Amino acid sequence: MASYIFRRTLMAIPLLLGITILSFAIIKAAPGGPVSMLMDPTMKPSDREKFEEKYGLNDPVHVQYFKWLGNMVKGDFGNSLIKRGVPVSELIMNRLPNTLLLMVVSTLLAALIAIPFGIYSAMRPYSKLDYTVTVGSFLGIATPGFWFGLMLIMFFSVKFAWFPTGGVATLNAPFSIWDRIHHLILPAIVLATADMAALTRYTRSSMLDVLKQDYIRTALSKGFKEKKVVLKHGLRNGMIPIVTLFGLMLPSFIGGAAITEKIFAWPGIGSLFIDSAFQRDYPVIMALTVVSAIFVVIGNLLADILYAIFDPRIEY
Amino acid sequence: MTALLELKNLKTHFKRKKVTIPAVDGVDLKIHKGETVALVGESGSGKSITSLSIMRLIPSPPGEIVDGEILFNGQDLARLSDNDMCKIRGNDISMIFQEPMTSLNPVLTIGEQIIEVLMYHQKLSKRAASLKAIEMLETVGFSRAKELIDDYPHRLSGGMRQRVMIAIAMSCNPKLLIADEPTTALDVTIQAQILDLMKELSKKYDTSILLITHDLGVVSEVADRVVVMYCGQVVEEASVDDLFEEPLHPYTIGLMGSIPSLEGDLDRLYSIEGTVPPPEHFPAGCRFSPRCPHAFDRCRNEAPVLREIGSRSVRCFLHDDKEATK
Repeated sequence: MASYIFRRTLMAIPLLLGITILSFAIIKAAPGGPVSMLMDPTMKPSDREKFEEKYGLNDPVHVQYFKWLGNMVKGDFGNSLIKRGVPVSELIMNRLPNTLLLMVVSTLLAALIAIPFGIYSAMRPYSKLDYTVTVGSFLGIATPGFWFGLMLIMFFSVKFAWFPTGGVATLNAPFSIWDRIHHLILPAIVLATADMAALTRYTRSSMLDVLKQDYIRTALSKGFKEKKVVLKHGLRNGMIPIVTLFGLMLPSFIGGAAITEKIFAWPGIGSLFIDSAFQRDYPVIMALTVVSAIFVVIGNLLADILYAIFDPRIEY
Repeated sequence: MTALLELKNLKTHFKRKKVTIPAVDGVDLKIHKGETVALVGESGSGKSITSLSIMRLIPSPPGEIVDGEILFNGQDLARLSDNDMCKIRGNDISMIFQEPMTSLNPVLTIGEQIIEVLMYHQKLSKRAASLKAIEMLETVGFSRAKELIDDYPHRLSGGMRQRVMIAIAMSCNPKLLIADEPTTALDVTIQAQILDLMKELSKKYDTSILLITHDLGVVSEVADRVVVMYCGQVVEEASVDDLFEEPLHPYTIGLMGSIPSLEGDLDRLYSIEGTVPPPEHFPAGCRFSPRCPHAFDRCRNEAPVLREIGSRSVRCFLHDDKEATK
């Protein structure tokens, strides 16, 4: 097992290098560039050259790439162009806990509700509850998050004033867990709804498939009650594809949910990304792109490893 | 001698969109203690549904035991609560299936799949259960049972998996083992080994076996008595010697004729003309009449009953007179 994880990790390295090369190429190809962003348009060409010399912009492309890569490995993504002098890594680290909190809570919420419903739907396919769950999950998939979020704000924040309209905590108030949870509920519901809907469908179809298998009949013939058969013999098999799905959801933990964060004024990575894109804050965009790409790779890696843990048939 | 298991007029029907399909339609069957009874018939004759009915594992809906009794040790399983049935399944009656490749759970170790039964029915501790599991695996012929219990099923061949299934089925010393075509998916040499093993264990533990098969070669090897089914009904029942000596029902005669033999140089294998009709198109009168070479008018209009002739019984008008002569 350890050697499998080690080999898979080694295999991820060339992929990550490829990602950085591509990202670097994209920033190079983007119009403008640091000089025109940072400099006064009325400056003299000689000053401009001095500036380029100072920041290494006259170096060959590959030298620039390796410098950038070297800094990045050390966690230095440069400084923000908009908020002068603030390191990008600091910007990201300030936002990351908020995003992680929101994503982990909403994903857990989605899983805790979706998986039992999916299992029950599969146990009693075409029953009333199954149809209700199916219709519900299609509604969930079809409802756009931005609309759903606005509706929740309109009713539960504006009309009934049960929840705050946005933010992570009440401004200038001392830290309190309840206050945090209070702010978390609406955005978490919006994010969970979409995940929940998809997850219910996946669980249902996966379990439906598993419950038809011969080994389920064997388990029933041993005299176990239906619940035990489904949970012990069915679920472990049915969860194999679902676990993979979680691995693939991991990048969104870091990337956040841009639109939902924006709507609820949630100071997370997603809204940072949107703001940076509008302000052409290239170092921030670059850093976020690379970081989320890295998490895509890690997510895939994790999915593969979990897959091997859950399914003994996988040879490694 | 009272029977260990007795089916009386068992009817298992499936309802699909208002059409009722009588998959098992009035089956009578007796299995005595220690006896091996073979249930024979073509695909679609209702043998598997009969066995699943005994286990009460008919998917419901659409299936339902609509009539009849399943007397096991005098207790009617057809009317038992689900909870009480769970105590019998895997404990007093256990079952092995046709497909050993897919009948074991791929994500649980072989040991776990035996241990869970022992812990559930025999209330053994995990330790005691795993010792017993090793013993069972040795009984069914594995030499390295200790290592095997930590292995997963995908490491084993079909024949070995069927041995594991037998070990699971026999682990609680059941009174009845239902084997639904246990050797159909295996190659011939392995078939013989598995049948020998079943015979040996049945003798050792005094377990009755209901063997479901369409292979008369298998029947002649292991069965004491044979029950031939056609279209959800029993058409003939006899001891294995009587049946192979002198099959009475034209369907049984047809089945016998379909066995390839080493003597004689047949160019083509004999086969019964036509196919088993689907249950929604069962003919009136004798259900075999459209395919029967001896059918006469009465067969097409009137349904024959299963009548006893000495120690055997047959459902055919051709043998109506035999009772009198006995």
